[in-house]
Amino acid sequence: MSSSEHHLAFERLVRPHLDRLYRLAWRLTGAKDEAEDLFQELLTRAFTKLDDLVEIDEPGPWLCRVMYNLFIDERRRFTRQRLHVVDEGSLPGEGLAGMAGPDDPAENHARDVRLRRLDAALAQLGDDHRVVVLLHDTEGYKLTEIHELTGIPVGTLKSRLSRARARLREMLEADGTFS
Amino acid sequence: MTTEHSDNHDRELLELLRELPAPEAPPGFYDRALARVAHRGSRRQRNRWLATGFAAALAATAAFWVVAGLLLDKPELPHDDAIPGVTLALEQPRTVNFVFASATALDSAMLTISLPDGIELQGFPGRRQITWETSLREGKNLLPLTLVALSPAGGELLATLEHDARDRSFRLRVMIAEEPPDGTPG
Repeated sequence: MSSSEHHLAFERLVRPHLDRLYRLAWRLTGAKDEAEDLFQELLTRAFTKLDDLVEIDEPGPWLCRVMYNLFIDERRRFTRQRLHVVDEGSLPGEGLAGMAGPDDPAENHARDVRLRRLDAALAQLGDDHRVVVLLHDTEGYKLTEIHELTGIPVGTLKSRLSRARARLREMLEADGTFS
Repeated sequence: MTTEHSDNHDRELLELLRELPAPEAPPGFYDRALARVAHRGSRRQRNRWLATGFAAALAATAAFWVVAGLLLDKPELPHDDAIPGVTLALEQPRTVNFVFASATALDSAMLTISLPDGIELQGFPGRRQITWETSLREGKNLLPLTLVALSPAGGELLATLEHDARDRSFRLRVMIAEEPPDGTPG
């Protein structure tokens, strides 16, 4: 197979899954630049595994798992390094900045404010809690699907989901979003 | 708070979470990402690209993540060439956002910022060291610091977080541009 045929075969395999992968990258990282780096890293990694990829019946879940593992690896490196320079988009409350919404925020200011507060509250959660609440409550993944993606037992996911919701509710009550 | 209130808030939270906008890739992003795949075989290439990206990002307001991790083992301070840097223009205030990510809530932590000669923290003229007591929530805590360069020397800013007889220090290299970072004269 020539280099361009190789690339075309790869593109045919992954293109149907790109929207889902992009959304997953956003939900995992919570920030546009980090999401796009993670997305690119996944494609680069998957391209080197093309021979394996063509043998897989459902490339979508496989790609999602690889992305999750890359995310976890990156977070471990982050923790070891201790100090990082990141773009502004990664700051709490700024995660919505690069995200397209169905409405013009100016047309619905109150909703926009509530969503920004939610975004800021989400940024205060640890990754373990943030990711499960976003995948389950925002993206509509079932707990069993999150288990398949992350390898975390369903019972642990259930308890993280419950704690994440409680913490979010507490923060949104404290800042007056919920009265 | 009544059970009814609590149930209402649970419902409101779920509705709000479902309303979070769906991230959409910018036009052409997938095509560019796929095209890049063929040309980006090595990690080294990616790191070079990231370094360039960071340099560009520093032209805007910079943000620094500091993982406090006070419950974890003390890390080694980064090697000199691994210290993050920020470039200031003389006498032009620039906000640097520190984000302290703590594994747990911490009360009565002491935060000390030590500044190199010629760099001031806006609102604290003439002070080389500023210390205050603070509490950290579990997760990420944002601290914006506005720095002003009064001389072209630059140097190293040291941020030290102390809690319960343990401490973490983080260094930031402060460089001074001969011209403003955006390249405009004056």
